[in-house]
Amino acid sequence: MTRALFSLDGFRRGARDGVPLALSIIAYGVGFGLVAAQAGFGVGQAVVTSAAIYSGSAQLAAVNLLQTGEATLWALFATILVINARYLLFGATLQPWLWSAGPLRAYSSLLLLGDANWLMTMRAIRAGEVDRAYLAGTGLPITLGWLAGTALGAGAVSVLPRPEALGFDMMLACFAAGMMTAMVKARADLLPVVVGAGTALVVAYLVGPAPAIIAAGLAGAAVAAAVHREAA
Amino acid sequence: MTESFPVLLAVMAAAAFLCRVAGFTLMRFVPVSPRVEAALRATPLAVMAGITALAVQAGGLAEGLALASVVGLTLILRSDVAAALLGVVVVAVLRWAGI
Repeated sequence: MTRALFSLDGFRRGARDGVPLALSIIAYGVGFGLVAAQAGFGVGQAVVTSAAIYSGSAQLAAVNLLQTGEATLWALFATILVINARYLLFGATLQPWLWSAGPLRAYSSLLLLGDANWLMTMRAIRAGEVDRAYLAGTGLPITLGWLAGTALGAGAVSVLPRPEALGFDMMLACFAAGMMTAMVKARADLLPVVVGAGTALVVAYLVGPAPAIIAAGLAGAAVAAAVHREAA
Repeated sequence: MTESFPVLLAVMAAAAFLCRVAGFTLMRFVPVSPRVEAALRATPLAVMAGITALAVQAGGLAEGLALASVVGLTLILRSDVAAALLGVVVVAVLRWAGI
């Protein structure tokens, strides 16, 4: 099979686009570091946890569970599976594009996958990005920000301004709103937006925020697939 | 909880890794028809709308106004990154003003 483009140029392009996201990830990392320190994690432990799991929401849930003192290994495993189930969706949507780079490059890139750079990469793909190194590139500044933020939060909590005061906790939502607006090119694109927002609100109300995002993605995909069949 | 930190870490990392690669791996065996492609294209839009809607619901007036301004600024400036960064400034200012 001929492999898709995977070059240093694409990696650089991704890294450049990832820098603004990395700013918000630093703040998020500080948040996790703070919580981890309160739960008795040392700076080293907090940073290793951030590197190994590489998902803020899953780490926060896991630390909360550990703090109860009644966590079993299975409960810990299951908690992370549930919180990170959206990554199943992220991986599936990237697969047709990313797989053509070859297995090693594809799976290595997935290690750097997160919420923010999934959004950014999907937007880039839609805008015609062909270089598969773009995803790994976006991951570089984000990873550095995540680990640096964790270390800062776990180590020097008391001297830092609260990320909320600077609005950094809203960074992902702001990027989501902006990218969503930029990606709506035709009237048909409004359908998944309406379905996604509605589903997220209903599921968050009935079940909770963690499954709401997955439900939004699945509902948007299902409706788009259904409408497509009618049109064909 | 009596397990040592490396054991906890390994269990957590394994679960996170599984989520990261499982959807991707399963998708290798799904033929990408135009209908599947339409579903894949719609997914990020629905997820972004979901994230935005939840942030508005969980937040208050400041958060709602900031996200609305991001949508407006993206259309005006034609740059979603600039609009998002300005949206964060809007949140910070509104919170500072006590809204």
